[in-house]
Amino acid sequence: MKLSAIRPIALVLSRELMITVLLLLGVSFVVFIILFASPGDPFSVLLEGQLSTAEAKTGVREAMGVPRSWYIQYLTWLAGMLSGNFGTSIRMGLPVLPEVLRVGFSTLILTIGSLMITLLIAVPIALYSAVRGTNKLSWPLTMSSYVISALPVFWFGYIVIYFFTHELGLFPIAFGFSTAGQKYRWLYQLLPIFVLGVGNGTISEVIRFLRQEMGRVMAEDYIRSARAKGASIWKHAFKEGLLIPVTEIIASKIPFILGGAVIVEQVFNWPGMGRMAWQAAQDRDYPVIMGIAILAAVFVRLGSLFQSVVYVAVNPRASKE
Amino acid sequence: MKRIFVVLLLIVATVIAASAIAEAGRKKDNKPDGGSLSYGEYGRPATLDPITSNDMISLRLTELIFNGLVGINEKQEIVPDLAERWDRSADNRTYTFFLRKDVTWHPKEGEEPKPFTADDVIFTYKIMIHPKTITPLKVRYEFISAVEKIDEYTVKFTLKRPILNALAKFSIKVIPKHGPSNPLYLTRNDRFVQSPIGTGPYILKNITAEREVVLNANENYFKGRPHIDKLIAKPFADQNIMTQGLMFNAIDMIVLVNPRDLPEIQGDKRFILQPYNALSYSFFGYNVRNPLLADKRVRKAITHAVNRQEMLDSFFNGQGTIISGPFAPGSWAYNLDVQPLPFDPEKARALLQEAGFSRGPDGFMQKDGKRLALSLKIPIQKESEAVKRVVLAFKSYLKNIGADINVEFKELQAWNEDVFFEHDFDIIFAMWVFDDSADISSLFHSGEIGAWKYNFGGYSNPEVDGLINESKLTLDHEKRRTINRKLHAILAEENPYTFLWTLTNYAAYHKKVRRVAIHPYKFFSYADDWFMEEKDQK
Amino acid sequence: MKKYSQISGEISEFSDLPFWKKADVVDLVYVGYGLLIVALVVVSYILGSFNLLPRDPQDIDLHLMMAPPGTAGRLLGTDFMGRDMLSRLIVGIQAYFLPGLLAILIALCFGTGLGVLAGYRGEKFDTGITYFTNLVDSFPRLVLILLVIAAFKPNIYYIMLVVGLTNVPVISSLVKGKIQFLKQKNFIEADIALGLPTRIIIFKHILWHHCRSLLIIQATLGMAEAILMETSLSYLGFGVQEPTPSWGNMVQSGANYFMQGKFWPSTAPALAILFTILGLHLLGDGLNNILEGKRNT
Repeated sequence: MKLSAIRPIALVLSRELMITVLLLLGVSFVVFIILFASPGDPFSVLLEGQLSTAEAKTGVREAMGVPRSWYIQYLTWLAGMLSGNFGTSIRMGLPVLPEVLRVGFSTLILTIGSLMITLLIAVPIALYSAVRGTNKLSWPLTMSSYVISALPVFWFGYIVIYFFTHELGLFPIAFGFSTAGQKYRWLYQLLPIFVLGVGNGTISEVIRFLRQEMGRVMAEDYIRSARAKGASIWKHAFKEGLLIPVTEIIASKIPFILGGAVIVEQVFNWPGMGRMAWQAAQDRDYPVIMGIAILAAVFVRLGSLFQSVVYVAVNPRASKE
Repeated sequence: MKRIFVVLLLIVATVIAASAIAEAGRKKDNKPDGGSLSYGEYGRPATLDPITSNDMISLRLTELIFNGLVGINEKQEIVPDLAERWDRSADNRTYTFFLRKDVTWHPKEGEEPKPFTADDVIFTYKIMIHPKTITPLKVRYEFISAVEKIDEYTVKFTLKRPILNALAKFSIKVIPKHGPSNPLYLTRNDRFVQSPIGTGPYILKNITAEREVVLNANENYFKGRPHIDKLIAKPFADQNIMTQGLMFNAIDMIVLVNPRDLPEIQGDKRFILQPYNALSYSFFGYNVRNPLLADKRVRKAITHAVNRQEMLDSFFNGQGTIISGPFAPGSWAYNLDVQPLPFDPEKARALLQEAGFSRGPDGFMQKDGKRLALSLKIPIQKESEAVKRVVLAFKSYLKNIGADINVEFKELQAWNEDVFFEHDFDIIFAMWVFDDSADISSLFHSGEIGAWKYNFGGYSNPEVDGLINESKLTLDHEKRRTINRKLHAILAEENPYTFLWTLTNYAAYHKKVRRVAIHPYKFFSYADDWFMEEKDQK
Repeated sequence: MKKYSQISGEISEFSDLPFWKKADVVDLVYVGYGLLIVALVVVSYILGSFNLLPRDPQDIDLHLMMAPPGTAGRLLGTDFMGRDMLSRLIVGIQAYFLPGLLAILIALCFGTGLGVLAGYRGEKFDTGITYFTNLVDSFPRLVLILLVIAAFKPNIYYIMLVVGLTNVPVISSLVKGKIQFLKQKNFIEADIALGLPTRIIIFKHILWHHCRSLLIIQATLGMAEAILMETSLSYLGFGVQEPTPSWGNMVQSGANYFMQGKFWPSTAPALAILFTILGLHLLGDGLNNILEGKRNT
């Protein structure tokens, strides 16, 4: 990281932030429109247990102070959001922002953790095949990774849980007060991360991509000449062949992994964004859904930001493009 | 020497006094205190107060945290709860409740418990009927015209008109005047709905990061401190995992066991499977607005075509009772003399032919060129395997008699709109859950036809209307029973629904939990009596 | 500025050896397996369309629920309603075949269209399209689909529409990147200098010669993703609904009995998914390697 990289990084950051704001606006608008177009409304959910006539629902809506038309609703929400108030959940009455941040953090841990696992598996295999080419070891490894990528993630989760319960006698779900196996707490947290990391279906793509990039870089002339000189190729190849592709693939796969997280959270009772989103979609709890959509979009942008920053830090000249 | 003796005496006296005071709070049944019981729920509660909550999980929790003026025991009798006795005026329009004087509210940390008084009862009522309070309870209590505080421990309710079984309605839970932050109405934004304060056997301690609800025993509970120290409700998003949680000691109890897991738990000696009968039943409901279904012979044919016993045996292990009419078999209104229509596909086909149908070229029945094709709409629920099985079997049975059923799963809110608003369906598969009375007036009375009303099928029969009107007016229990029995017989013949069955609900729990009595609807009503032996406590 | 550098470094100018002679054995195996899978899929699709199945996939038998393979002539056993597993697996392809093709088509058409616009025309188009693709990219796919299902209905075609749309950004940035790379190497300028019509430049040179392998890979990946997405939705209850079979809802209903030790009802469809997706990935991989003339593993 050179000092000369700082200014380009700052430029990139500020530009990305501006784009992010515009994007969040776009995301929130689209989500809102879809919600509004859905049949049903959150008020019926509140009145569940008795059928709600149209008047009852209007009464509820007025009691809760929700305006009639969609654009006023959207603008009200937007105004609130800009001042930091994301509204309160219609179903639970809790303020949206702290709740969404809480579950978002939880999902973030799951996502980042699983990305690490994916990389932990994919990078060595990719490197090995890029450097050594096809041989007795790399081929089965690559094939197994392809096989694992093709498993439905919840089924894989069931297999893992079955193994732990029936073979090891442990119940691998994270609960604060689990009466047995307190000492295995760390294991319970790790397992859903492992399942998502292995089962999210992206390992094969990551391996292929990394291998391709690594191979391409290694074939480049300057590497060849460095090799001929006897200099270490790693330092040169590392930045372009590994660091950049890795950040690139991570950034692009985040939306995909967030989707897988929804499933894993249900199986392992992980208190994350996915469960909340699913419940809120059914309830038409629009403050919660908007909050989650925004947060998810923020995560994706963070990944993209990270990738841009790394790219520029490694190649300050590239920012002039 | 004398001084030491006096000090010793004082110490001993203090100890005896202290233990006597502690004893006063404990139950008098010599069973040990202690232990913690965690139970699994499928899903999470939305709110924890008795006014805004409307799902079963919240209901079970409020049963632990709150009390009502009166309670209903397993024999459907009224028993005292917060009110130790009551008076009813001769014209049945005034009820006066004499409240207990030894009840206190759950204290906040470091504060003294506040006493329960008539003010709280009046406050509860006022909050409930306020137009800005969103609660499913308003409709139930519209028969009350006024409430009056007679003194600190006496409350008088005046009714608009005499109501049969009015006392049962006063099992409503009471909330404290100092509880909600808004003194006029209660919304879900109020802190109270997530941090409830009640008088009940358990106090809400906190909700953990994993959304478990932790309840501690109320030392000052007026019926005696509950034995089990701690109750924890653990929410699960996956029923298969929940059952595994029971098998592998992550939870001690499951409130409602999924029928497919019954054999596995039954075989395991560590657990007790306890049946309890909820007042509910499953049915196929028909939209009689469709001319094909308006003919009662067609509906009767469908009932004959369905092999209910086979479905009950194959899908639910036979754990349930087939019903013939609109009441749950545990209800006092059920007419045991009316037998369910037998499974008889031949008879079904005969009835269809009688109604003018004949076999078309594609094998399905048709009449005047119209095929007997009906749409069956069901809402999508995540854990709905049993529903799928019944629905698919239904389709198969009906294919057998020449009716083509188009099965359509719809998202819940869309389904609600189709069924209760647009009335755009032919058949639905659903389940009604009753709480106390066997009141079917809103289901089959022609006055209840319309947008968002319960008579979604549009069933209209003047004889049924007349009987329902009669039963609403009478206060004589026996007369009501006779009317209900007659209704049962008529509806069994008319088949506005094909009445299916009432399933036996099972709770499963580790055998270390003793003396478990379960309330059929509220579940935890007797939880304060449950206990665990010393050796089983952790 | 997001760039996919999945650009082949070399533009192969190979000699006139037929491709199977110069390709790696491994790649040929991959392609062979992949083509086999595709052939199976197509055959199943045809069988399913004409109802040429061992048994009726909707035929319920309450006495034969979850029977192991081989019972009473059911080659692969039965599911939770006693229906023949093999027939349902074959018919299950219908749930993916056309909808998956829809997803791929949408993604490829819009993706290349936008990518070409952005890369070829540059500046203004580029910024606008980048915003649009970033927008679509920012949506977590599953949440968006849940919303769409809530708004409309759990119809597999709507779902695949959304899947296709959410794949547009990937393809468009790949194509755009390729075009930019070509511009860098002055290929496009050379074409223009030669007086070639735009249509030919775009379709023949850019898309066919340079983008075809990445498009093929994206097509196979898209189909694989469609299958996995439907499986996840089925777990949540929103995939293809009964009584229509799909591998996803078959795994889900079978999984309910998994913990009790009855593995087969969920394993059979899961294996079907596994082999199919494997085939698709390998096909894409192998074709990529052969067409690009590269030897990677």
